[in-house]
Amino acid sequence: MKRNFTWIGIFIVFVFGLTIFSGCSENKTVVKDGSSQEQQASTAQSSATTTTTDQEQSAKAQAAAEAGIADITFDFDKSNIRPDAREILKADADVFLKKGNWKIVIEGNCDERGTTEYNMALGERRAREAKKYLVNLGVKESRMKTISYGKERSVDPRHNEEAWAKNRRAHFVVITK
Amino acid sequence: MRTKCLLTAIFISLCASLSLSTNAAAKIYIDVDSPNFQLFPIAICDFDPAAAGVAVKTLNAGFALAEETKRYLTMTGFFNPLNKKSFLEETNGNSPAAQINYSNWAMIGADYLVKGNIQQSEKETTAECRLFDVIKGELLFNKKYIAAGNDLKILARNIASDILFALTGDEGEFNTRIAFVSKKGQKGDIYTINYDGSDLKSMTNHRSIIIAPRWSPDGRFMAFTSFKDGNPEVYIRNLKNGSEKKVASFEGLNLCGYWSPDSKNLLLTLSKDGNEELYVLEVDTLNLHRLMHSYSIDVSPTWSPNGKKIAFVSNRGGSPQIYVMDADGNNIKRITFEGNYNTSPSWSPRGGRIAFEGLINGKYQIFTIDEEGNNLLQLTFDSANNETPSWSPSGRQIVYSSKTNLKSKICIMNANGLNVRILNENADSLAMPTWSPRFK
Repeated sequence: MKRNFTWIGIFIVFVFGLTIFSGCSENKTVVKDGSSQEQQASTAQSSATTTTTDQEQSAKAQAAAEAGIADITFDFDKSNIRPDAREILKADADVFLKKGNWKIVIEGNCDERGTTEYNMALGERRAREAKKYLVNLGVKESRMKTISYGKERSVDPRHNEEAWAKNRRAHFVVITK
Repeated sequence: MRTKCLLTAIFISLCASLSLSTNAAAKIYIDVDSPNFQLFPIAICDFDPAAAGVAVKTLNAGFALAEETKRYLTMTGFFNPLNKKSFLEETNGNSPAAQINYSNWAMIGADYLVKGNIQQSEKETTAECRLFDVIKGELLFNKKYIAAGNDLKILARNIASDILFALTGDEGEFNTRIAFVSKKGQKGDIYTINYDGSDLKSMTNHRSIIIAPRWSPDGRFMAFTSFKDGNPEVYIRNLKNGSEKKVASFEGLNLCGYWSPDSKNLLLTLSKDGNEELYVLEVDTLNLHRLMHSYSIDVSPTWSPNGKKIAFVSNRGGSPQIYVMDADGNNIKRITFEGNYNTSPSWSPRGGRIAFEGLINGKYQIFTIDEEGNNLLQLTFDSANNETPSWSPSGRQIVYSSKTNLKSKICIMNANGLNVRILNENADSLAMPTWSPRFK
């Protein structure tokens, strides 16, 4: 009897471990593909000549999917959704609602100015504000996850207002599988 | 009329005697943080070989030990070692205290004098060092130092530490290290370096976004936030065996704050409950205690040295500002009002003052302010972005990052903003320096 329990225990731990493991690998793809759309498009193109692996294929599918999804940007030290961003989110939400099987990771980012730690929190706040707006537009909360990269992941490395405006953004990463 | 004069006279003489007495007290432990503080003028003689007719090697060692001692004393920011060329006397470390002609040293402006001798064998180097107060004409200490081989650095460090202690009552920062994040592109790791700029080495091997390294005050652990597994999660690293464990990996943001003075609790910012909020994590049990309920962003919490208060950054007033509250989350009070971006508070281990970075004229600069929000003092003024101040264990120096578009530096300055020294310099991004406690 006692032995039976042990076996059941081992089985549960094993299954649980598998779930965690697959969860992790999914996360990793998300991180890898979190760069800018342009970059993803170019990797997709260049990989066409090389042998296509599963991963590249899924990256391609993701890049194609994300091509239709626009980022939204924010004002300095702000996390409220601007009127122009609302229009973008409406268009994005339409796509998300049509593709009900997609999972969405919303990445909050800041420009290079200011404190790393405060920007980490500000990025999280931006991502969550975007998520809240999408929930109000009917996108299921359970499909969306937020992550902040603070000021650590600029899309435009220049040190001017134009670059900063681009870097203060919420970026949407789509997991098609 | 006469009584009035008399009263005035008494008053003046009272004032005079008061100021005299403070001067007298200052002779013992000079207030090195005062803006009027003058660097200690000190004459350091070459250490003489103890025995006559020794090898040139020992002569050189005597010279080198004096130079190293000078270098370490300069590092503290409180000494002005005088040029040897100005010395009127031939250096002779063997002369007993009674034979020192103090006026010869006072004449060249030295308040203090260091003399000593050195002896080298195959196995070890022995130095004897005497510190004299030139003004009072007395011996302050006479001490023997032994180091294995010919490690003059360790000798000089211990001599400098004792001189500093004799004059300021504080052993200084010689046995401390500074941790910081070095980043190439988006891949970063924590590095540490000695106070004297030697022995730079990597501590972690995460190659990911890594932020907010924090030494535990007992020197046994390093807490930090790393994206190693994709999400920002808080780790604690055991510095003895190098093992790491995750202590906060909730959904959303897990951001590391400072340790409590007893090294038992860690302050965190977590967004797991839908808002960037401050929590206390009991490190042994991993029990979490939420400190407040507010809609605003609350980050970068740091304990006061007695553990009774917490300073943190909040945007509850519309912009990021420094706030102070009781350790239980009550009595929240804003202390910064100048400028619209004040962050990264660090509480002086001696209490009283909080260092932080603030945006002024488009650049981030280091400031200090007292915990009531008075006596704001700007410490850096150059054209770089000077950020994330962290106090030395003595509370007399501050380490910070200094960054331009081309260069990235970790710098140390005195608590009054003077005596800036570059600890490390790189084209990569160096950030978030944090001062270790004293290691035994």
